[in-house]
Amino acid sequence: MSSVITIDHVSKAYGTCQAVSDLTLSLNSGEILGFLGANGAGKTTTIKMLLGFFAPDNGQIAVYGQNPSDATTRQRVGYMPETAYYYPYLNIHELLSFYGGLCGMSADLIRQRSEELIVQTGLEHAGKRLLKTYSKGMLQRAGIAQALLHDPDLLILDEPFTGLDPLARIQLRDLILDLKTKGKTILFSSHELSEAELMCDRVAIMKAGRLVLDKPVKEVVCDGNTNLERIFLHVLQSS
Amino acid sequence: MHTLRQISALMRLSLFDLYRRKDLVVVALLTVVLLVPLSFATPFGVKGASRYLNEIALLLVWIFVLAIAMTRTARILPTEIESRTIYPLLSKPASRTVILFGRYAGVLLASLSVLFLFYFLYALINNLKSALFPWEVFAQAFLLHASFIILVTALALLGSLYFNPDANLSVMGILIVSMFLYGQQLPVLASEHALPIRTLIHTFYWFAPHCELFDMRTRLIHHWPAIPWGVCCMIFLYALTYAGLCFGAAAWLFNRKKI
Repeated sequence: MSSVITIDHVSKAYGTCQAVSDLTLSLNSGEILGFLGANGAGKTTTIKMLLGFFAPDNGQIAVYGQNPSDATTRQRVGYMPETAYYYPYLNIHELLSFYGGLCGMSADLIRQRSEELIVQTGLEHAGKRLLKTYSKGMLQRAGIAQALLHDPDLLILDEPFTGLDPLARIQLRDLILDLKTKGKTILFSSHELSEAELMCDRVAIMKAGRLVLDKPVKEVVCDGNTNLERIFLHVLQSS
Repeated sequence: MHTLRQISALMRLSLFDLYRRKDLVVVALLTVVLLVPLSFATPFGVKGASRYLNEIALLLVWIFVLAIAMTRTARILPTEIESRTIYPLLSKPASRTVILFGRYAGVLLASLSVLFLFYFLYALINNLKSALFPWEVFAQAFLLHASFIILVTALALLGSLYFNPDANLSVMGILIVSMFLYGQQLPVLASEHALPIRTLIHTFYWFAPHCELFDMRTRLIHHWPAIPWGVCCMIFLYALTYAGLCFGAAAWLFNRKKI
């Protein structure tokens, strides 16, 4: 399997606060990686570096072998931020049309993909409503739709289950698993360990900017008597 | 083609904003409220005095268009960052320079649409009032006013990368009003001082935006002759160059900004 993401001895500090320390991690094509950790563990900082929002202080990051800050690299990447209050004066069709335009998609392709994604994310009943009237969960769905719009090969989801009701969680989980069957590579950060256990091939646990565990889920949860939640607590307390 | 689509998408966003927030309705109402009474009134029954009221109306148009253009430009990036819409925006395959240009061009287009609406209604009202409407001066006044908006919005965009929106608006407001009122006095002031201060004043004079060049209100109101079109084009080019330099500096800073 070819490597989609390569993070090699990366460090990043905000002033005196060391957000990420000597992180080495890779993600292979077609894998789902659960990027776990408590608040302030360095997950979002790592994701921002993967998207090229800023460069690491030390080390190297490559996405599909390229610098993540290149616009051409981002053509293959879809990103859903943790919480985004999308433009309140647009409806979902206009929002997707805007992001499609930014991805350089033609008007026909945008229309076709928008209609598919609006149905997939369950927003068809709210198609004409302005985003300012959406609930938090609906905005999360809009976020997923915009991330998938240009059919990216790599999907980076930052806390995708935040604010979703149980039905929406199941729909999103099914959607992610469906994307995996289509050969997409997915990295998602989360506190939702049960979701990670159900979906991920591999989990990486961060603590205070350091990677403390990187193993396939099957190896982590091998004895059948314990779950990822217990292992997560054990790893954080022991490291 | 790809970049054009990106810029067009970003520009449409600003127009949606203008339309959906009902700003155009407010502008249309303002125009009617400002221009109609002031243009038709004849104070104290003195013929010709309405020209001065017309001048006040045009000054208010200047102030409103400036306020709309500056506030919108000063808030482009801070609003994107505050609402976190900047993250999905930067994650798309568009360079930061294209994103900045598209958002700037969108706000500029929205501001120029407002300006056009003001001038259209002004021309309509004054044409109804008098058959001798000075169309050539009017065209030059519109072109120079549009040039002024291009210049000050680029300046506000650059300022938005240094200051928060309120500080940016205050600094730019003070700079623009000062240059309007005292810009032409600066060389005289410089000649009255000794060397280090003289150089400082001269440097400021050459670097500051010469807002006084764009004001055609007096010519328009009093039906004075038009300025040569060559001069008009030079001022337009001056505004474009100044805006281009401000945008280049803003893009340089935005590309290095840690978000």
